[in-house]
Amino acid sequence: MATVHIPPALRKYTQGKEEVSVDGGNVRDLLGNLESNYPGIGERIVDDSGAVRRFVNVFVADEDIRFMDNLDTSVKDGDEVSIVPAIAGGR
Amino acid sequence: MTVSAQLQRTHFVVVGAGGLGCPALLGLSAAGARRFTIVDPDVVETSNLQRQVLYSVAQVGRAKADAAAWALRQRIPAIEVDAIVRALRPADASAFVAALPPESIVLECTDAPALKFALNDAGLEHGTPVVIGAALGLRGQCIAVRRGVACYRCIYESAPQDLPTCESAGVLGVAVGLAGFVMASAAVSLCDPQQAAETTGALLAFELGAGSMQTLRPRPRERCPACAAAQPSRFPPLQASA
Repeated sequence: MATVHIPPALRKYTQGKEEVSVDGGNVRDLLGNLESNYPGIGERIVDDSGAVRRFVNVFVADEDIRFMDNLDTSVKDGDEVSIVPAIAGGR
Repeated sequence: MTVSAQLQRTHFVVVGAGGLGCPALLGLSAAGARRFTIVDPDVVETSNLQRQVLYSVAQVGRAKADAAAWALRQRIPAIEVDAIVRALRPADASAFVAALPPESIVLECTDAPALKFALNDAGLEHGTPVVIGAALGLRGQCIAVRRGVACYRCIYESAPQDLPTCESAGVLGVAVGLAGFVMASAAVSLCDPQQAAETTGALLAFELGAGSMQTLRPRPRERCPACAAAQPSRFPPLQASA
């Protein structure tokens, strides 16, 4: 299983959990299983076409999946997956 | 030139003198920076005081840019600081950066997504490094942008319309304070050619709830329009590594 770090804005779908363990041989499967385990979270990460939304970046082991194999990027047991949305506060 | 000397020569332009800008200014001045411009259109309000740490009750009602400049001079009388009491509009960002001296670093410390993208683009267009930060809730992010590495637009593409704000989602004063100091640290590191190579293009993301600090390595996005328009750095320590 991989450990997925959940940003605060999406924790309402994970009952407040900061990180969750999810199966998946690649990012696509992992996000699918994440949605199965925590309904509603998937559409906040990927759009209707299945692509990762703008303003959201997904990193596997701190590497940007856009420059690996995108949603086909392989995920190994023990990998850390970070979902990093844009934030803009600061006043 | 030593890093210390470069810090004293560098002109730090802090856009936004609020929750991010106040600690960024403190951190920069503590590191040895001595030349500043502060841009902010707002006045100090009582509700700002718990996290906008340059201000006290006595400054309520005063323009933030003026009050921040005054606070810095109180700490370091020899400091050179200009206060600009107006909003920098995204449409004016390019002309604003173009007019800056070559040895300038811009710190984007507002909560306006459109201005973050505009200053990212303007910095690349005119060869001026820009440090962009944000904080919300318990989280913060910071990226130092220059030509040749992933920029803010590479990561997030375009300004979103519906991001949560500190008003809607809240922010812990400690989180925005830490983000401001992280921005100062990133800006200081740009004055050291060796550190600059490590700092630029890395997305520093922390979350106080989980006690985590990540250094993520986004890559330049293909066909990023800001990167396509990027010019060589005007900032001397980055010229060798650009």
